[in-house]
Amino acid sequence: MRACLITFRSVTPAQRGELVLRRAGIDCNIRRTARWMEEQGCGYSLHLNCKDMYRAVEQLRTRGIPYRRFYRSTEDGTLEEMAL
Amino acid sequence: MIYLDHGATSFYKPHSVHQAVQRALLTCGNPGRGGYGASMAAARMVLQCRQRVAELFDCQPEQVVITSSCTHGLNMAIQTLVKPGSRVVISGFEHNAVTRPLYALGAKVIVAGRKLFDWQDTLEQFEKALRAGADAAVFTCMSNVFGYILPVEQMAELCHRYRVPFILDGAQGAGKMMLKWSRMKPAFMAMPGHKGLLGPQGTGVLICGILPRPLIYGGTGSVSRQQQMPDFLPDGAEAGTLNVPGIAGLSAGIAWVLKRGEQSILDRETQLAGQLITGLKKQGIAVFAGEHQGGTVSFTTDEDCEVLAQVLAQGGFCVRAGLHCAPLAHESAGTLRQGTVRVSVGYGTESGHIRSLVSAMPKAIKNCKKF
Repeated sequence: MRACLITFRSVTPAQRGELVLRRAGIDCNIRRTARWMEEQGCGYSLHLNCKDMYRAVEQLRTRGIPYRRFYRSTEDGTLEEMAL
Repeated sequence: MIYLDHGATSFYKPHSVHQAVQRALLTCGNPGRGGYGASMAAARMVLQCRQRVAELFDCQPEQVVITSSCTHGLNMAIQTLVKPGSRVVISGFEHNAVTRPLYALGAKVIVAGRKLFDWQDTLEQFEKALRAGADAAVFTCMSNVFGYILPVEQMAELCHRYRVPFILDGAQGAGKMMLKWSRMKPAFMAMPGHKGLLGPQGTGVLICGILPRPLIYGGTGSVSRQQQMPDFLPDGAEAGTLNVPGIAGLSAGIAWVLKRGEQSILDRETQLAGQLITGLKKQGIAVFAGEHQGGTVSFTTDEDCEVLAQVLAQGGFCVRAGLHCAPLAHESAGTLRQGTVRVSVGYGTESGHIRSLVSAMPKAIKNCKKF
């Protein structure tokens, strides 16, 4: 499975996002955002299967949950930012 | 002990509130400060509280800012909308939590509507004041002294008509009245967590229609590199560590209210108040009663109100006397000089408690002479 990440500025929108995605049947879990991904520091991310990424973003947009950026894991396991 | 001071704080609380506080103390870390279990458990619990507030008041969870009291929320709201010299319309039944911040800011305060239990007067005077021009309005949903339920939805409508941003003080009505943010759309709605919402003391809620100006600045667990407070809710108004055990209790208290329903709670309290009013009036006691009254009743006798309350306390009755931090309301009702004795019912109050109080009154009044 290729892992994708959606980052959030703080814990509340990340948790709200988690609930929205779970209700939509998208498996995800919440973790702290790696320091290098969040220049302002102290964010949270949702980790999910890349196959669900477009549907997840659609859900967040529809529900008005503010997110920051998207990342996906590459072949060598590193993460790269992606545009959606 | 018969507790009849729910206008000050609810006491006792549902057992689920005690349990939630204890569980939080045993399981919760600092929310939004880490990715480990205890921090995430706290974050989940805080979000659950925001969601319950959102369900009860029909708003979004992000709009829910947790405060330490209703006064805290009112100060934040007032300091956001009001500048020195601003014209601010208030009702004639406001608490010092509203009037003191306004006076401290140097606002020009216009008091509109001073007749107790009279919606027509409240609305006519309120509209007149708004029409004359106002920068903001602040009004309570229920007088903490007399239990007068103000026509808040109509007042909200008037504020929107005259394009005046307003703050609703939900201190006495939250958890009892149908206060829906989505119907009234105030700039802010402030409320305590420990009264009608049955949470612990030291909790409150400010529902924000706009981003408030914070009262305190500091860590929020978000956008930490930035030296300005976050420009998003709820973080922008919640610096410092949240009162997690308190919020857990508040969440449990709101769950109890959601299960029971605000209307059913208000109906029950109004019924108990009616029983009290009838009982006191039969004894010739001057009771402030009227249409649109909740579960709070004030009365006066020939005795000093503080002495009477003290005598009642010796008999095991917890009631509040004096000015109730609301001299403006007393001025409106003509009781500023003598004050009143206030009885306020709530969670756990039973009809038998009211009967006991009514029966105890003649002796208590007599005993005031010896005090």
